[in-house]
Amino acid sequence: MRPGTGLVDGLFKRKEPNLVTENGRHPEAVRQCLQQEALTYIDSLYRTAVRMTRNPSDAEDLVQETYLRALRSLDRFKPGTNLRAWLFKIMTNAFINEYRKRTRQPRNQSLDNVEEYYVYAHLIDSGVQPESRGPEEEVLASLTDDNVVAALESLSDEFRQVVLLADVEGFAYREIADILDIPIGTVMSRLHRSRRRLQRMLTGSLVEAQPYGDSAHE
Amino acid sequence: MSNCSETLERLYEYIDRELSNEEQAEVQRHLDDCPPCRDRFKFEENVLRQVRRCCRDVSAPPSLVEKVRRICNQ
Repeated sequence: MRPGTGLVDGLFKRKEPNLVTENGRHPEAVRQCLQQEALTYIDSLYRTAVRMTRNPSDAEDLVQETYLRALRSLDRFKPGTNLRAWLFKIMTNAFINEYRKRTRQPRNQSLDNVEEYYVYAHLIDSGVQPESRGPEEEVLASLTDDNVVAALESLSDEFRQVVLLADVEGFAYREIADILDIPIGTVMSRLHRSRRRLQRMLTGSLVEAQPYGDSAHE
Repeated sequence: MSNCSETLERLYEYIDRELSNEEQAEVQRHLDDCPPCRDRFKFEENVLRQVRRCCRDVSAPPSLVEKVRRICNQ
């Protein structure tokens, strides 16, 4: 942040023509918008950061870095566009370009060799038959949060990101493509494979932890 | 009406509401008439719901909120 551009200073400088952005909005006005709105996304950014970094302390650093970068790049934000998606894009770039290099985190295994079979079929083969057991919630309720987190964290960064953006944060394919700067087809392909992998992990732990053996079918 | 394999190919796009209204309705018609596909879709949705529920149950610590508030007010 440049010195002397605090909120009050900025308001006094509002009429200076060289402070008007390409979007025709004064940076200070954009900054006030960010101040007012950006904090509403902090939970959403933080929970994604926790899952991306796998570490609450690193997640805090990443979120702070995201807001610092956002403030430095205000002239690139177009008012009226999706601030939440813009913040996620900044955070994703910070994670990929800075955080991962700095921490030299090993990438998790790629999904290239993930077996291509449907977990649902595997479940049935394993004796878990949601249909015969009533609501599927009953089966899935056996999963603990630890099971889910472990499965998520086993995904490579690239695959974990699409799951977090789509399944946790509810971004549309188009938005995810913009955030990650990848083609929409790649988003769909990564999502498809990540979800299969997740299911495999989750239902695998379910089958191992709670075998639906003899009594379940009596 | 579309068959099971065509419907399963659109499973995730249906769950993610990425199909057109017409396509969404077509998948829905198949699911209405096909219990195995319906169970499969429901299962997939429930797995994703489980992931969402687990991950969304996290909030930024108050100390971080305060730090970011200060960053925004710089």
